[in-house]
Amino acid sequence: MNLIYLLIWGTWVIFGISVIWALSWAVSRGHMTNVEQSGQSIFDDEEPIGEMTDYFPGEGPDGYLNAQEGTDE
Amino acid sequence: MSEMADEPGHPEGDPGVPPRDRDVIRRARIDESCRGPVMFFILTAVVWLLVGTVLAIVASVKMHSPEFLANLEPLTFGRVRPAHLNTVIYGWSSLAGIGVLLWLQARLCRAPLRFHRLLYGVGVLWNLAVAAGTIALLTTHFNSVEWLEFPVWTAATLGVGFLGVMVVSLDVFRRRTKHHIFVSQWYLFGAVFWFPILYVLANMMIHLGMASGIAQATANWWFAHNVLGIWFTPIGLAAAYYFIPKVLGRPIHSYYLSLLGFWTLALFYNWAGTHHLIGGPLPVWLTTVGTVASMMMFIPVVTVAINHHMTMVGHFQKLKYSPTLRFIVFGAMSYTLVSVQGSLMALRTVNETTHFTHYTVAHAHLGMYAFFTMAMFGSIYYLVPRLLGREWPSATLIRVHFWCTATGIFLYFSGLSWGGWRQGEMMNHDTVDFQAIVDYLIPFLWSRSFAGILMTVGHVAFAILLWKMWRGKEPTGEPALFPAKGAPKREEDSLHDRPPESKREESS
Repeated sequence: MNLIYLLIWGTWVIFGISVIWALSWAVSRGHMTNVEQSGQSIFDDEEPIGEMTDYFPGEGPDGYLNAQEGTDE
Repeated sequence: MSEMADEPGHPEGDPGVPPRDRDVIRRARIDESCRGPVMFFILTAVVWLLVGTVLAIVASVKMHSPEFLANLEPLTFGRVRPAHLNTVIYGWSSLAGIGVLLWLQARLCRAPLRFHRLLYGVGVLWNLAVAAGTIALLTTHFNSVEWLEFPVWTAATLGVGFLGVMVVSLDVFRRRTKHHIFVSQWYLFGAVFWFPILYVLANMMIHLGMASGIAQATANWWFAHNVLGIWFTPIGLAAAYYFIPKVLGRPIHSYYLSLLGFWTLALFYNWAGTHHLIGGPLPVWLTTVGTVASMMMFIPVVTVAINHHMTMVGHFQKLKYSPTLRFIVFGAMSYTLVSVQGSLMALRTVNETTHFTHYTVAHAHLGMYAFFTMAMFGSIYYLVPRLLGREWPSATLIRVHFWCTATGIFLYFSGLSWGGWRQGEMMNHDTVDFQAIVDYLIPFLWSRSFAGILMTVGHVAFAILLWKMWRGKEPTGEPALFPAKGAPKREEDSLHDRPPESKREESS
């Protein structure tokens, strides 16, 4: 029983330490600066902000844009 | 870190290639590198989804009509039920999760996937292990520890599989060409680096006889809760955090909140497992730790809920137009619901009613199906056309898939939650005859079987779609299927002139 508690609590502590280590690593490497910019990193020139990238087959993007003409945003 | 862009003749480093085309070519190259292994994981996952669904229907019908298939020994309830659990967890959910995880890592690191042979090896081993484990379950060669019923050799094989996924993830991350780490990547790291350690440790405790009695139950539920919290939840949330903004074309409402959500989840989720043992013969402090951690989980849950909702605000009409968005948003909303419900169920006053009832079964399916499975469906709808270079063959079948699964899980959850709560209340009154409780539940159990049939129809529609995609015509070579509005038409041969990935690798 004691061994199990030791393993479980030991793992919890190791997890906690690894979380703190990863957070420190992220801060030291600058991943916590300009964070809002990171939120835009999934967009690029071909798939920019403001354009949908998924539609039902055969139904977009023209169908969506026509239906939303002047009403989107 | 930017070795990919530095390759000789690489389009990203070629000033002659316009920026838009560079993005297209880079994405196409990454998708091409993922095609084989990721499709292998996804296709085999769907086979397990179908197997797990059949086992689920059999188990469900037996609950209200015990004479159903009563003479078939391998299909008795005590065998079918764990076989269902393990095929959908380690077969469907884990294989689909690994497929989506690998594709997301490659996309977000902006680096192609390598070690294809290793990944195929992991995929084959994994499938063999789940198949052998399922046969073992149906022939009673298993132990009775929930979520860890597979024999030790099956568990060991899956452990090796986790190691392979870890190596490939680390390799992609090491070769990333984007400095910033997107929030989805943090979640994926959580899944890939924390869960395998936990899986190996838990199996050692259970299978090597290190834990018995109360200690075994503690190890059991510490693990079972963390399968959800450190394996499936991070993959599901990584998908939601990527696909919602990506499909909408709108950045996440608050990136600060998304990071806060991840780090608090990483800190608190791991501690919550012992709330499953409230009322058991454990030291009270042990279950109290689980309850406190469950309350702390409100922080990451609320941050995720606010973030996803605020990103969607003003854009809900887009759900009509995107299959990915429909499934993912359904999954994200279910995540909020299941997490809030789970935290409340960790309170002793609530738990004394819900424990040992169908309410808990409804809760588990809200998490693993309404959240995770729907998130995986949405992800697969996005990435398969990009991997195979062709469009889904039928919008109608996608709609059938969505409405059958969404209605099915809604019916499943509402029926069993209502019936389960009343069941708990009646069980807490010693004046209520036990047979009366059993009789009261039968209509709710029928509703579950009906819901299961609806979900099965959805799964069959999904399997047909995937099969048609896989067996369809040759790839068109188009890197992005959905050209942006007003974008100039790309040169048709911009990709065709490039040598295939394998040849490029050989020549470099």
